[in-house]
Amino acid sequence: MRRLGFLIALAIALPHRAQAAPCDTLPNPVYLQVGDTQLNLMKRLGRALRDNTPKPITLVFITSGSCTNIQAIYTRVPITTNLQYIPSLTEDPAWTPASATLSCTPPATGVVPDVANSALFNSACTTEVAPATVHLTQGPAQAYVMAVPTVSSQTAITFEEAYFVFGFGAAAMIAPWIDEAQMFVRTVTKSTLLAWAANISVPGDKWKGIKLDGSPMVVSGINGGTAAAIGILGAEVYDANRATMKALAYRAKGQYAAYYPDSSSSSRDKKNVRDGHYTVWSPTIWMDTVDGSGAPVKSDARYVIDLIAGRTVTPAQSFGMIDIVAAVGLVPDCAMKVNRSFEGGPLTLYRPSESCTCKYESLVDTSSCATCTTSCTTGTCRNGFCEDH
Amino acid sequence: MTLRSFLTVLPLVFAAACGSDSGDTPKDAPPAPIDAGAPDASCFTDPHTYSEIINACTSAVKVYKDSHPALLKPDGTLPALPP
Repeated sequence: MRRLGFLIALAIALPHRAQAAPCDTLPNPVYLQVGDTQLNLMKRLGRALRDNTPKPITLVFITSGSCTNIQAIYTRVPITTNLQYIPSLTEDPAWTPASATLSCTPPATGVVPDVANSALFNSACTTEVAPATVHLTQGPAQAYVMAVPTVSSQTAITFEEAYFVFGFGAAAMIAPWIDEAQMFVRTVTKSTLLAWAANISVPGDKWKGIKLDGSPMVVSGINGGTAAAIGILGAEVYDANRATMKALAYRAKGQYAAYYPDSSSSSRDKKNVRDGHYTVWSPTIWMDTVDGSGAPVKSDARYVIDLIAGRTVTPAQSFGMIDIVAAVGLVPDCAMKVNRSFEGGPLTLYRPSESCTCKYESLVDTSSCATCTTSCTTGTCRNGFCEDH
Repeated sequence: MTLRSFLTVLPLVFAAACGSDSGDTPKDAPPAPIDAGAPDASCFTDPHTYSEIINACTSAVKVYKDSHPALLKPDGTLPALPP
């Protein structure tokens, strides 16, 4: 039965191959190699960009581990396997983010990604400094969770417990997580494992448990697991599977209480990520290639990155980017109140240049901010809300 | 006794009520007490340092968990990971 579950998860994860077309015949293709935690972002943004009237772009992408993606753009490794893309409204009006992606074939010699994504600090993967030809941009924040089946009575895990559970396995006797066959983790090139590794002081190559290549396999493992099951996931993957599992609150070292990424187990506001009570998060890093003068080699690639990073683009897009980022469980940089400089590093207070907290909260919860059209009594009118700066 | 102290002691009372445990067969831990945004006298109202940020006052749900892993060293520090 569990094998069937894995096969179903695999079938959902893989793109449809029946309609494979040459990728370079799609309108304005931008090739991306991203972490599998970013699949939901690719789907929603891919759809929006196909229908972005001022500048239609096709996101053509594959998903792989963050560390693999970094090396792909640092050393220009071409993609030779089929890629995924999203149909435009005209091509498939009924398509939704829950639908499968379409498949296309790369050029005969493969294609080096225009954009590579790491869902954590690059330094967590490699000590290698980025080549001068690669430009790094910090994007939305990505939280990571430990999740258990709904049959589990557990609601929280501490730093010390996580250290023992994943560093010692069954020998640590941290009930109920005493069965290493019920511990669903990721391989060592994946951001989900490395982000948790940095936060619980267990190096990636020391983890106990079953090392899985994809998030859908972890989801399947947790869903088919016993009360002793536990797995690690990107928060946005968890958000899409809340009906069948629950995230554990996490108490960091030196913290008095454990917290969920959100203000409660049922909310989706990422409040504790934004204000520093939930410490297991990373900035997403987006990389593209630049020439000798630092200018992007492919302007459409930089257009996509600037959108993801919340920057103003020209021509302005025809959709709300914060809406997309919020919908996929990421936190835009402009809504963050804390920052860090390396994976698992200490949090510091942060003030983005242009806050979007009111707008973000209006999308994921309710905003108490005043609304506006052009100006505010106090603060700055932006995106229809009086932001404090 | 403050609310936080009470919530911290609560799991110990449950554990004691379960009788002695040889340690050979770990039992499933009781669910951690959940505090839905109650005031916490030990939180920081104007956080600046990392320790203050993660323990800042908040209306978010707090989950208190009293945990004593068996392999913790007597001084409370963590042992090195196995090779």
